[in-house]
Amino acid sequence: MNGDVSGDMNRDMSGDHQPPPPPVGPSGFPHGIDPARIERNWTAISSELFVPRPSRVERWLQRLSVPPSVTRLMVATPALRRAWFLALGLVVLIGLAAADGTRTRENLLALLVMAPLVPVLGVTMAYGSRSDPAHEISLATPLSGFRLIMIRSATVLACSVVVLALASLLTGAVPALAFGWLLPAVGLTAAALALMTVTTPRRAGAIAATVWVVAVTTAGNVSNDPLVAFTAAGQVLMVVIVGIGLVVSYRRRDRFDLLAVAS
Amino acid sequence: MNRTATATGHPAQVLMFGATRTLGKNAAIAGIDLAAQGGLITVLGPNGAGKTTLLRCLATVLLPDSGSILIDGLNPGHESDRLEIRRRIGYLPQDSGVADSATVFDVVDYLAVMKSIGHADLNPERSRRRQVLEVLDLVGLADKASERVGSLSGGMKQRVVLAQTLLGRPSLLLLDEPATGLDPEERTRLRSILSERRHQATIIQSTHLTEQAAYGDRILVMAAGRVLFDGPPERLAAVAESRAWIQPTPPPAGSTRTFWQTSDGHYRCLGRPPPGAETVAATVEDGYLLLLNQ
Repeated sequence: MNGDVSGDMNRDMSGDHQPPPPPVGPSGFPHGIDPARIERNWTAISSELFVPRPSRVERWLQRLSVPPSVTRLMVATPALRRAWFLALGLVVLIGLAAADGTRTRENLLALLVMAPLVPVLGVTMAYGSRSDPAHEISLATPLSGFRLIMIRSATVLACSVVVLALASLLTGAVPALAFGWLLPAVGLTAAALALMTVTTPRRAGAIAATVWVVAVTTAGNVSNDPLVAFTAAGQVLMVVIVGIGLVVSYRRRDRFDLLAVAS
Repeated sequence: MNRTATATGHPAQVLMFGATRTLGKNAAIAGIDLAAQGGLITVLGPNGAGKTTLLRCLATVLLPDSGSILIDGLNPGHESDRLEIRRRIGYLPQDSGVADSATVFDVVDYLAVMKSIGHADLNPERSRRRQVLEVLDLVGLADKASERVGSLSGGMKQRVVLAQTLLGRPSLLLLDEPATGLDPEERTRLRSILSERRHQATIIQSTHLTEQAAYGDRILVMAAGRVLFDGPPERLAAVAESRAWIQPTPPPAGSTRTFWQTSDGHYRCLGRPPPGAETVAATVEDGYLLLLNQ
């Protein structure tokens, strides 16, 4: 990195009248030049030369006052991006179905059942050795696994809520009902996090999703009201599930901190 | 306890007492005792010997089922101690990778953010970015910082992963098969990095390549989860003293289990030499092979 400065100085560039080279110090630099200062300057210059600009998403998040270190954790995980794209695809499908104005009630039911699965997919598909090639390296850092998964879950939930809210507006239903997926989305994510402390992330996501779909369908059939799960009682139940899910995840947070291997 | 770690320049003290960890039905490591502070220690052993499990336990990503581990007196079984230990280590797992779609700088900086929690050397952001460039420079990749990882060769990708281990000047470096995919020039660079650091850090690397073990200060030979040998490379070579010989023809069946043909067509044999055999200077590899076959 330091280069052969004395060699450059000795190079004959102007014929016979080249001035004698300045005396060279023990560091290899001419006398009077501080190698430490050169090193500091080089570091500053190289920071500008070699450090790539943050991605557009990262810069956009930083404009929203999210700290740069957090934006890096939010966007620098390719598995998280893949999971987002998958979830986004699901949302687009729901949106297309919802745009069909002739079947408003069925569309609303489809949205309410499918929307909570979006963040669950995002969270469970982006965590673990199978999704993240640097998973084991990140486990061995002082950022606790629980904190990392909470940052990722919050990111996924926030993004999902924004996109799903747009899809909800397309249904034309009263907002109180059209946004009935919101608490179930948080509840299912919390349940999936709790399940991740006992099984693999993908299995946890699959269990949470299956139980949700079966429960909503069964409740609808039993009560003859397909939307019964989204009434006040159902929403209260979801608040309870959020609480239980978060408590279980926190109490068993060691599981996010250690490598999941068969014992 | 100091929660904002800084690089102390002192190697971490590593103590293991009867550490056992079972994976599936088998004990991956069984009753391992180890004491180390400073120097370059190479864990040598065949596939399945327990090297990776040993390093994972030291890296605090696995906990032993029984026995105990102390790193600088901290117990990884306790959450707060575990996070404190993680501020002091640099860890290269086996088969680890990084995202191909990200740039070299972003990948290392992403891991630097994770390591920066409570780490004075990696805060504020400017210091962190400077250190990312420094470690990339150390592994010879500073000029590739803006390139996507997917465009690099296998050896370069391994150097990217290696670079992150040096962030925060760790006092304990744990490297699982660090030479995988490196060409001879890159392996030489790795050696010089490790040689330079072994006075400031305790370095434990695993390998199944004997030539990589020979330049360390101490070798641990493992097989079936146990330590068969613990000592300097010269002592491992001495295990085969007067028990390595060369002969022009293959040894008769049953006389020795370990022999191979050398590039000049002769046969290098290990074991009890026959009368009049031409014994040769023993190497670390000879000692290792004899130990495994005993």
